[in-house]
Amino acid sequence: MRPPRWIPFLALLAAVCLATACRESGIQTDAIAAQAADAASLPNKAGSFKFAVLGDFGVGAKTQYQLADQMATLHDRFTYGTVVLVGDNMYGGERPQDFKAKFEKPYKPLLDAGVKFYASLGNHDAREQRYYKPFNMDGQLYYTFSPTADVRFFALESTYMVPEQVAWLEKELKASSSKWKLVFLHHPLYSSGERHGSDTLLKEALEPLFVKYDVSVVLTGHDHFYERVKPQKDITYFVVGSGGKLRSGNIDRGTGLTAKGFDTDLAFMAAEIDGDQMYFNTISRTGQVVDSGVLAARKPLSP
Amino acid sequence: MPSPDARRLLLVGLLGIVSSGCRDKDVPPPPPATAESPAAAPSTKRVVGPLSDADAKALKTMNDRMKSYLEIHTKLEAGLPELPKDPSPEQIDKNQRLFEQKMRAARASAKRGEIFTPEAETVIKRLLAAVFTTSQGKELMASIMDEYPAGLKLTVNGRYPDAIPVSTVPPEILQTLPKLPEDMEYRFIGRHMILLDTHAHVIADLIENALPKL
Repeated sequence: MRPPRWIPFLALLAAVCLATACRESGIQTDAIAAQAADAASLPNKAGSFKFAVLGDFGVGAKTQYQLADQMATLHDRFTYGTVVLVGDNMYGGERPQDFKAKFEKPYKPLLDAGVKFYASLGNHDAREQRYYKPFNMDGQLYYTFSPTADVRFFALESTYMVPEQVAWLEKELKASSSKWKLVFLHHPLYSSGERHGSDTLLKEALEPLFVKYDVSVVLTGHDHFYERVKPQKDITYFVVGSGGKLRSGNIDRGTGLTAKGFDTDLAFMAAEIDGDQMYFNTISRTGQVVDSGVLAARKPLSP
Repeated sequence: MPSPDARRLLLVGLLGIVSSGCRDKDVPPPPPATAESPAAAPSTKRVVGPLSDADAKALKTMNDRMKSYLEIHTKLEAGLPELPKDPSPEQIDKNQRLFEQKMRAARASAKRGEIFTPEAETVIKRLLAAVFTTSQGKELMASIMDEYPAGLKLTVNGRYPDAIPVSTVPPEILQTLPKLPEDMEYRFIGRHMILLDTHAHVIADLIENALPKL
């Protein structure tokens, strides 16, 4: 007996529904993610602004070095000039030898190539890091820099959000006419971390400013995995606390926040801003692209 | 002719109408400072409730003690070898530890309560309790207790342990407590609050069980 004709259509419909459900719940297999990555690799255009994001990395362990090797490998074919650090740059001791073992040695190829690292401080970081030249903080706990006319970064100190810092941020965001405003700080306003999760107190203080002044992307760490959060009020939030310490299986899939999560290995993010678009890849310790996509710059709310 | 009592009532009523009209039209004036802050600190913009004269006096005494601490801090820091423009980690570390030694030696006899006087401690505990009785109390506590290093022994004039992360101090608390100069910070270790000299890495003073039990 021949099966009814509608069975293949039903199977197709079920497959489409399943894929949609997986995408919406943020649960993707590595195979699906890898296919998506192939389809949306970085354009690597001449003249675009290329950068990487790294967080919670300074442990000095072999796995940190392996991820650092992946960063150097990528740099060979995708010449980014900036790395943004989202805090917890140094775990444990911060003696001079720690700066060597946990930063200068693993990232030596990048430092030698002239890549500039810009740090924000996490709860494990001593205040003296702001004087450490390779972190380019110029002695400041919070600061801003603009690598190109279209792009401006704002680095915040999220363990001690004094009112002056919030006022400073508002002044700087307001004054900036850059098409791309990206904020980086340690504590995530949104995160599905079972260990830490979203910092709602910080969200109350900062999110209204991000919305009002057209911040497009917020880069954070603290939770030791990678997560791209579904856009919140049109802003894309990333958790990139996967640079050295891994909290395996720590993403709570029930938060409904996750657009894509990766909590089975270390990872860093590479990104490219070209005009109105920002392309990104997230690359694991083994060189797998575990997430990728394209974001659009937010348009100003008011003329 | 209205009686004196009636005139007084009329005057109070008129003042009430005028003041409510002003409130509707104008931006309300900023609340008074929580306490007089050290000269190096910006003025406070928010308070939790009005402070009595006794409270204000207690916080003023605390700030005066802090000023004295800062005088020592500033003097000793100025006497350190000057760091080059781009210091190495060795130079930064050496300078920092030298500063810690000098600071601790200068306050060798320091005791708990010298800056957070008993009177100031009472006011600070009350200010903190007021913040924690809001609907956000549990979130505030969770934020502070995140990565709390249990079993840590705290000593006034001791070095803050290098490998221990610092607590988050939520914006709500920083808006409520008296302002500190840039070199000093409030931090929590469990329910205890310390006054941390961030340059010297020294615990300048502490309040035990500063946070309320929720």
